[in-house]
Amino acid sequence: MVVSKMNKDAQMRAAINQKLIETGERERLKELLRAKLIECGWKDQLKAHCKEEVIKEKGLEHVTVDDLVAEITPKGRALVPDSVKKELLQRIRTFLAQHASL
Amino acid sequence: MKMEEMSLSGLDNSKLEAIAQEIYADLVEDSCLGFCFEVHRAVKCGYFFLDDTDPDSMKDFEIVDQPGLDIFGQVFNQWKSKECVCPNCSRSIAASRFAPHLEKCLGMGRNSSRIANRRIANSNSMNKSESDQEDNDDINDNDWSYGSEKKDWELKVTLPFILLSYTAKKRKSDKNPNSPRRSKSLKHKNGELSNSDPFKYNSSTGISYETLGPEELRSLLTTLMFLFQQCGVISEHTKKMCTRSLRCPQHTDEQRRAVRIYFLGPSAVLPEVESSLDNDSFDMTDSQALISRLQWDGSSDLSPSDSGSSKTSENQGWGLGTNSSESRKTKKKKSHLSLVGTASGLGSNKKKKPKPPAPPTPSIYDDIN
Repeated sequence: MVVSKMNKDAQMRAAINQKLIETGERERLKELLRAKLIECGWKDQLKAHCKEEVIKEKGLEHVTVDDLVAEITPKGRALVPDSVKKELLQRIRTFLAQHASL
Repeated sequence: MKMEEMSLSGLDNSKLEAIAQEIYADLVEDSCLGFCFEVHRAVKCGYFFLDDTDPDSMKDFEIVDQPGLDIFGQVFNQWKSKECVCPNCSRSIAASRFAPHLEKCLGMGRNSSRIANRRIANSNSMNKSESDQEDNDDINDNDWSYGSEKKDWELKVTLPFILLSYTAKKRKSDKNPNSPRRSKSLKHKNGELSNSDPFKYNSSTGISYETLGPEELRSLLTTLMFLFQQCGVISEHTKKMCTRSLRCPQHTDEQRRAVRIYFLGPSAVLPEVESSLDNDSFDMTDSQALISRLQWDGSSDLSPSDSGSSKTSENQGWGLGTNSSESRKTKKKKSHLSLVGTASGLGSNKKKKPKPPAPPTPSIYDDIN
């Protein structure tokens, strides 16, 4: 018999994620984040970065998804403004507090 | 199951915070990934570089950020203070007032046709009797159905206003004689009203008629007829005369008497409500005196060129009493404004008179109008 050893934390995280998805909160958070990022210009910054560095470096023809992901993700993470980050974290905490007892 | 038994409350805050951070990181990564896919697709489909233009065009359409200008660089209320010259009357009009002015100036547009039609109908009603009302209706195929409703409106709204303003001692209408606004304030007075110097308020007789122009005279007469058949008490807030019957419950007889005294002088008498439809029983001496006086005074005001026809038409007079008795019977359709009938015929006609004895020599007012 295969015993799947998920420790409590992992189980906890899984449960929370499940709850997030079930209530639709995850989608809402995602939309909110997207909107805020566009609003603050994050998307344009990233696009400029793309144009300048990635594509010109590798050439338009040979751009792959993997390349893009590898280049863009760290930059993207770094470029998120603090206010957006704070607000999102706040909402997540609220959600967790609401669903303290499953 | 095990999962259900677990509760978050067992976890401490740091763990919760860690979980929150994780969730946040997940979300951000999702967004980045989404962005990557978009870019990749744009590159492969060929529209990635589409929004780039050459530097020259970029400068042309740059966003303007100066005070007083919008982002396109245009001045905000540039057109407010501009003045246009009207092609019709060659007058300089403010831009915001240009459209309504043009409407009136050219005589097109709903309001100007309404005014014109009203004027026509007024002059028509002076000449013709009720049977010609259909003509009026044909001419005036506007929103209103002309006829009694229009005349009621006139009586209710325009006449009291006129009379009230006339009986005031001072006139405040003389602002800028050339400004187009003047015509607006005088619009309700049934057409062009020259700025004639109206009344001297004569306390003994009420109003002195000598200085009345024909328009004013006509409106005065209509009010008089009004007062013979209807309540007439002027409402304080709307300044209109009450159009209900002489037995209207809203106003007392005292009020009605007061209104009549105000307009007709101290000797005015309230028409007897109880009287049968034969209105002649009420005090005609007063009104007759008034009528004959008006007759002479009105005609003396007229242009001498009319003297030929006007002399004969004088005798046809203004059968106030007659028409009021008719109207009494057939309430609705009678025109209050039809002033034709012979003076001598007062009281003799109880039936509806289809046409007046002589075709009202297109009465004196036509020429003036």
